[in-house]
Amino acid sequence: MKHTIAASILAAALALPFAAQAADYSVMAPAAPGGGWDQTARAIQDALTGAGIAGNVQVTNVPGAGGTIGLAQFAQEAKGDPSKLIVSGYVMVGAILTNKSPVGLDAITPIARLTGEYEVIVVPASSDLKTLDDLTKKLKADPGSVSWAGGSAGGTDHITAGLYAKTVGVDPKSVNYVAFSGGGEALAAVLGSQTTVGISGYGEFQSQVEAGALRVLGVSAPDRIAIVDAPTFKEGGVDLVVQNWRMIGAGPDLSAEQIAAINADIEKMVQSEQWKKTLETKGWINTYLAGDEFKAQLAKEIDSTTAILKDIGLVS
Amino acid sequence: MNTLDLLIQGLGVAIQPMNLLYALVGVTLGTLVGVLPGIGPATTVALLLPVTYRLDPGGSLIMFAGIYYGGMYGGSTTSILLNTPGESASIVTALEGNKMAKNGRGGAALSTAAIGSFVAGLIATMALAFLAPWIVKFALAFGPREYFALMVLAFVTVSAAFGESTLRGLTSLFVGLALGLIGIDQQTGQARLSFGVPDLLDGVEVTTLAVAMFAIGETLFVAAQGRRAPDRVEPVRGSLWMNAADWARSWKPWLRGTIIGFPIGAMPAGGAEIGTFFSYAVEKRLSRHKDEFGNGAIEGVAGPEAANNASAAGTLVPLLTLGLPTSATAAIMLAGFQQYGLQPGPLLFATNPQLVWGLIASLLIANFMLVVLNLPMVGMWVRLLAVPKPWLYAGILLFATLGTIGANPSVAELVMLLVFGLMGYGLRVFGFPIAPVVVGLILGPMAEQQLRRALAISQGDVGVLVASPIAAVLLGLALIALVLPLILRARGRGQILAAVGADDD
Amino acid sequence: MSTELSQKPARRPDRAALAVAAVLIAVGGVIAWDASHLNAAVRYARIGPQTVPYVVAVGLAGLGLWTIIEALRGDFPEREPQEVRPVLWIVGGLLLQLLTIRTVGFSIATGLLFALVARGFGERRWWISVPAGVVISMLVWLLFARGLALTLPGGPLEHALSAALSALLTLVVPGSAA
Repeated sequence: MKHTIAASILAAALALPFAAQAADYSVMAPAAPGGGWDQTARAIQDALTGAGIAGNVQVTNVPGAGGTIGLAQFAQEAKGDPSKLIVSGYVMVGAILTNKSPVGLDAITPIARLTGEYEVIVVPASSDLKTLDDLTKKLKADPGSVSWAGGSAGGTDHITAGLYAKTVGVDPKSVNYVAFSGGGEALAAVLGSQTTVGISGYGEFQSQVEAGALRVLGVSAPDRIAIVDAPTFKEGGVDLVVQNWRMIGAGPDLSAEQIAAINADIEKMVQSEQWKKTLETKGWINTYLAGDEFKAQLAKEIDSTTAILKDIGLVS
Repeated sequence: MNTLDLLIQGLGVAIQPMNLLYALVGVTLGTLVGVLPGIGPATTVALLLPVTYRLDPGGSLIMFAGIYYGGMYGGSTTSILLNTPGESASIVTALEGNKMAKNGRGGAALSTAAIGSFVAGLIATMALAFLAPWIVKFALAFGPREYFALMVLAFVTVSAAFGESTLRGLTSLFVGLALGLIGIDQQTGQARLSFGVPDLLDGVEVTTLAVAMFAIGETLFVAAQGRRAPDRVEPVRGSLWMNAADWARSWKPWLRGTIIGFPIGAMPAGGAEIGTFFSYAVEKRLSRHKDEFGNGAIEGVAGPEAANNASAAGTLVPLLTLGLPTSATAAIMLAGFQQYGLQPGPLLFATNPQLVWGLIASLLIANFMLVVLNLPMVGMWVRLLAVPKPWLYAGILLFATLGTIGANPSVAELVMLLVFGLMGYGLRVFGFPIAPVVVGLILGPMAEQQLRRALAISQGDVGVLVASPIAAVLLGLALIALVLPLILRARGRGQILAAVGADDD
Repeated sequence: MSTELSQKPARRPDRAALAVAAVLIAVGGVIAWDASHLNAAVRYARIGPQTVPYVVAVGLAGLGLWTIIEALRGDFPEREPQEVRPVLWIVGGLLLQLLTIRTVGFSIATGLLFALVARGFGERRWWISVPAGVVISMLVWLLFARGLALTLPGGPLEHALSAALSALLTLVVPGSAA
């Protein structure tokens, strides 16, 4: 027994860093350890090494300014280097615009969209609002009377709230959006009936929904999803789909062969058992999309995000 | 099975030799990383989480608890010995603790911190086990307006507790408030005082400011005294341990600190540092040795350290009962739980009692392990102070920059460290107190955001700020704390205060 | 501090304190200028992103005026004379570290900082302080960057060290390099 412990501790402390000389991939998480991008980067690390696709994968964290600091650094360091990858996501699209970042996602080579999460609108169980229709009516009658609790201004939650208003014909500028710090603060505000509704990724609210303390009015997915027992926005009369996705990208100035090689590795990873298991334990939805299709989708999202941020008044 | 049976069963699992070993490893690793200035328990847990993945769920949970408490404790050690707070919750500890260390009372300061943390951890963990459902209801009653009222109370009581010059204390506070403005405004997404520098968009990191102002500012100040400063500190004067008077002066602050820290830690937007501020202010007001505050009063270490640990246990209340991660550490713990397919939340106590009680038992064991491990090491830690000055301060700066680089490997962070270090030096030269700067940086943005949230929800109706009983009571207390000393001073120029003080003695 | 003040008969204006006051007022001005550039359109809360900055700016300016009054009355506390040279050594060490860490790596940059700080405190034996600093930094790097996965920038020294160590590990624990 003693031996096992000693060995496992030794392994834990030493094996990872010393495993092999040459790093096959180095994945940048443009965020501090612990957050969503960091978890994605570490999941990629596990899957790439676990499935034997790469010998050694290192994760580096460069936090700051919604990932734009990491992005700028990556665009410089990874130029022409096919061993460097970066995790990014929808949040960065907004952050680039609101932070007026000089470096955009066009400075890197997008490889693939990997996972995604859908936004939900929730109310406390005691709320008068029973359906999306009730919410839309209240919003149309007096936009200020509906306070929305969500994450930082300009983030996915805020953008979704703005798009919702725009879709039902209410001026997005008039949305009474109240930004809370990440993590549980928005959830606490909804639970305590401090605001009218809460809007965030489903994972944030899941346990409270399952316990019956919160009611989901609608989910931003294109079709009903298994884990959420609630109608989609579309079913509720609001023609809107929002996905908070995470992607993987590579450095600029890569040759076509190099890009193809990375694409192949990522595709292999997505199909690996290791990756599937990670998605399952983390509750992430596989929304893998690669190649030109992803590029087109990305361009479309950047356009629509720019438009809505202008409508909300965050970007001039 | 009732609560007690489950707890005893959990303890039975936790004290198996293997699990004790995991706890020991966790506490050691946690302390090791936690002593790095700038790296708090959140980063410690995030960095070490992968180590625990390699064990079975029970063992990893125990190691995890050890890392958490170890990381918390590590911060106080450097605060006391090197005047370098490891994390924002141990900033207050540095105020009195470091003065004690310089007076040869470092052993007593470290002991009261360790035992106080143990006592607070023990009581708070038990409270977590038995009172969680009620505490969480109270915590959820806090909305933006209640938090705003709490911040106002904190401002009033805390500013009264720092420094003797109103002008210089207020100036320091406003410097902190000004630094707190830097970065993206959360409500509108606009950059304030960033001057187009992307590294400023996230604002000033509290730990960077604290490490710079305390560690670097102090190093520069001591160096600038040249030969006038005493050549070396006498590490032990009198007893290494706490004497009878220390015990007598410590136990009440431990208990008060626990009572203050636990509920504030349980509040979704409370934060461990707020509890330590309140505890310090309370101890200063209640102490019979007011003159010692600022020169090494043991109450000023005992109370805040207890508050700090109690709020760490408090953080677990909303996490385990609501699935609500209220601090960075809790958010990372959540990720840790999910690794085992566990979703903390209202159903966790019902669906996975073994694990929940296993965790609570592990916390108790880790807490115990920490005090067993650290008390014997107090003597060794204190000897650090006997290191000749050039090596001691060179070492302090090595560790201060190591922590900053480790937390965020960017040159911009090192530039901030240097700039704030120089600022801390300048403030010291002119006799401005340092702590209010840090307080302003922490409380300012919280107060502003909560006020604006409250007003947005009420659509601009200011009356809402006093319309809830909790908010009204908190603001009332703030008013009393503000006005009472003025009245007392006006009536007989402090005679009443003096009389009250004399009665106490 | 207040007792020592009242004993000082000198009532000369305190120039350094006037400079502090000027800095406070200037910072207040910068904050107000920055706040005036913010988009203040706030629909519901009535107080917007510019409100609190204005309050802080006015507060700083007020405190600046108060400091001027104290400085003119000679009420500002006396200062001990400061030695500039040690401060320059330490600031130089920090500057050197932040300028070189990306290229030469953690150990060398931090080792130099270590030696310069020691010099600031009067340690002149470079042949001891520089190697001591680099070796300590290297051990620290080994423990935290390799052992505990903290991101600390590596340079030539670190690369050589980890190459040597992994070679050693392959010898001692066969198969662990897989």
